[in-house]
Amino acid sequence: MSATLLQSLEQAYAQLPPAAMQAGRLGEARRASLAAALADGLPGARAERWRHTSLRALERRAFSPLPATATVDPAVLAAIPAPRIVFVNGVFAPQLSQLKDLPEGVSLQPLSQALQQGDVREVEFLARRFDAADETFARLNAAFALDGLLLRVAAGVHCTQPVALVMLGAAAGGDHAVHLRHCVELGEDARLTFCEYQLAASPQAHLLNSFAHLHLRRGARLDHVRVQGEDAGATVMTRSDAVLGSEADYRRTDLELGAGLSRHELNVSLFGQHARVAAAGVLLADGRRHLDTRLNIDHVARDTACDLTWRGLGADRGRVVFHGGILIRAGADGTAAQLSNKNLLLSANAEIDTQPVLEIHADEVQAAHGATVGQLDDTALFYLRSRGLPESVARTLLTRAFCRVVLDGIADAGVRERTDGLLDARLPQVAA
Amino acid sequence: MATERNDIENALNRRYEAGFVTDIETEYLPPGLSEDVIRQLSAKKNEPQWMTDWRLKAYRHWLTMPVPEWAKLRIGPIDFQAISYYAAPKARPKSLDDVDPKLLETYDKLGVPLHERAKLAGVAVDAVFDSVSVGTTFRKELAEAGVIFCSMSEAIREHAELVQQYLGSVVPVGDNYFAALNSAVFSDGSFVFIPKGVRCPMELSTYFRINAMNTGQFERTLIVAEDASYVSYLEGCTAPQRDENQLHAAVVELVALADAQIKYSTVQNWYPGDENGVGGIYNFVTKRGDCRGARSKISWTQVETGSAITWKYPSCVLRGDDSTGEFYSVALTHHAQQADTGTKMIHIGRNTKSKIISKGISAGRGQNSYRGLVKVEKSAEGARNYTQCDSLLIGKKCGAHTFPYIEVKHPRAIVEHEATTSKISDDQLFYCRSRGLGEEDAVSMIVDGFCKQVFKELPMEFAVEAKKLLEVSLEGAVG
Repeated sequence: MSATLLQSLEQAYAQLPPAAMQAGRLGEARRASLAAALADGLPGARAERWRHTSLRALERRAFSPLPATATVDPAVLAAIPAPRIVFVNGVFAPQLSQLKDLPEGVSLQPLSQALQQGDVREVEFLARRFDAADETFARLNAAFALDGLLLRVAAGVHCTQPVALVMLGAAAGGDHAVHLRHCVELGEDARLTFCEYQLAASPQAHLLNSFAHLHLRRGARLDHVRVQGEDAGATVMTRSDAVLGSEADYRRTDLELGAGLSRHELNVSLFGQHARVAAAGVLLADGRRHLDTRLNIDHVARDTACDLTWRGLGADRGRVVFHGGILIRAGADGTAAQLSNKNLLLSANAEIDTQPVLEIHADEVQAAHGATVGQLDDTALFYLRSRGLPESVARTLLTRAFCRVVLDGIADAGVRERTDGLLDARLPQVAA
Repeated sequence: MATERNDIENALNRRYEAGFVTDIETEYLPPGLSEDVIRQLSAKKNEPQWMTDWRLKAYRHWLTMPVPEWAKLRIGPIDFQAISYYAAPKARPKSLDDVDPKLLETYDKLGVPLHERAKLAGVAVDAVFDSVSVGTTFRKELAEAGVIFCSMSEAIREHAELVQQYLGSVVPVGDNYFAALNSAVFSDGSFVFIPKGVRCPMELSTYFRINAMNTGQFERTLIVAEDASYVSYLEGCTAPQRDENQLHAAVVELVALADAQIKYSTVQNWYPGDENGVGGIYNFVTKRGDCRGARSKISWTQVETGSAITWKYPSCVLRGDDSTGEFYSVALTHHAQQADTGTKMIHIGRNTKSKIISKGISAGRGQNSYRGLVKVEKSAEGARNYTQCDSLLIGKKCGAHTFPYIEVKHPRAIVEHEATTSKISDDQLFYCRSRGLGEEDAVSMIVDGFCKQVFKELPMEFAVEAKKLLEVSLEGAVG
């Protein structure tokens, strides 16, 4: 059934360097994942979790999964301070990365390096299997990913410098499928600010398949900012799986500003008592962009909390798809869950599909969600116009205010300023 | 405290009050489903050829359809061959006076004002007993107003043109698995036609009852309101207490032309099964209203307290400009009951408005899901939707779920959805208890307040019944 995408990957699998594929004795897991992906194919329109995102166009394209070198102007990275680890088309770029001068207790290395050293414990997350038939991209990632970031913060260490992960897409003669697998681990009471960038160094139409595992042990706090600013031709599949121990505090902000098709799955398991997650994001779909964000917050333990705030902007022929799933398991009493998803529909051809979902199996809970789709307030616009602001400026200002609440959640002032700048640069095109 | 425990014990052991069997001679078709069965069924009802063909077409389509599995329900496999698709009291009534007195007694026990009581209550009733309609009251008064209110079988014979024009125009034959099955084997139901400009002089009502064993009930209701007419329609349902699951797969179609208003209210009290989840009705219903004309309005109000499984999404297609759709629902699940219910509001016309108020109550091991779709098409300029769905949890083992879908394609549409889930707050309970209310009374009062927004939409006599039903259904839920 599903033709070219999977065929092209299947053919390319054999050409991958066997030494790297077998490292850490992971060959079996890789082959099984590829076989499962090929057997089930890409999820179709009847797959509930892909109901609003069609993969038919992607399915017909062929990609080369072989590493492609490309030269990148370091100016792209000027605004991203060290320490940072950079991957260009999925390949670790030592000349662009700055891994030195890390505080004691913080270890940062590319996955490819750990694979060469063959330390199985370091890369055991690569052996994970994905059972659901629609987890095609996770399976492909499990089969193909040879690089990524490994970041560990030892117990009790407070890393004050934000650590940056940069995935750059660059033109390299043909379309490439890039698979990256990351793992971030925080020991007990460790603290870290982590910035993840998916950016374009030059126009291209690659497929980026990025999968991050995040582990927060007891009392750890992770501030995580992700900016997806890929080229309009690119396809980005991102998955973030976080597991939180007791009293862990995970704060995350996602800005979806680029790519032609971008799908982000954020799975958070609140595994320890009093764990909490505060996640927020902006989905900015202009041009012909299709942005799909899917949250699955799983309250496993007692007294856990989630606070989710997402804002969507649909302009031109853009489409915003949002699914906010909150599951409260039996026994997870004392849970507080809160989700707000507000959307602005700014043009006649844009579309917004939102689905906030609550699944509750415990009774001592407070859960609420709200979703709205609407327009800028005419009265507010009129007020600003009457104060002498041109319409385009007034619209931009109101749109910025609409997204404000998301950026306010970023604790680190430097990171907030940079993220703010990235969003501000895009808003006038959308709002005006 | 001791007496209170006794009260609770008593309440726990209280039986489903409508759970009696009426012992009257019944004519069955043998269990099983095939084209022959459908032809026999159609012949028994003296149907014209076009109707038989319509049924067969639906049946052939049904055979090609997979059983839907998307609802959050645990449903045992249904053996469609073990069900009898036709059961009717043997003595065919010529008029209401000929109706078997035992049957009337049954409706008496249920509190249906079928005969004299109907006059007092001013409600015209069409009562469906198993598969056939046994009597329709107030025919003459309605006829004077030009209103047609009769059983579907009669409508097929006497008003074939109207039926042919509208039947299946809102819920097409192949709409979904259970609707297709219903189209093939529907036994009876009500037909209502309100001509242009007529305000129906009284509330119309249908009472459904499944009596015979191993039967399914597949009623089909069609209500057509012509320009600037108004009708309020009430529907109630009960079934005897039995250990096996019985199937009820109904289809209701509403058509509202320009400026017409249809108000459709349901109090569903099918047998819910016992506290261990044995027996009970599988209630798989397709209800859809089509606001075809400008400024038309369709309003669904439902109180769902019965059935082992409820699978029901009364919907509105808002085609006419400035048309309005409303959905008010209280769904209660107790013991092992499961409900997956909600609505669809499809905005097509300009300035269409819809409002959804859904209240779910889960107790015992009940599972209650709200599933709704609000869709604003590109043509629906100025569309407006407001959705509120609240869930109340009573007990540790129950579940409450919310699955709303919002799809908006017009930039001048405003859609709002909000949902909350919580248990009855200890503060509220404590306050009521400190004022001298027993725990059951306190809970019942809080639940009543929780459902108020929906109950106030019900016609008065139904609101009283709904409130009572809720109290009875919730007995034993606390403590």
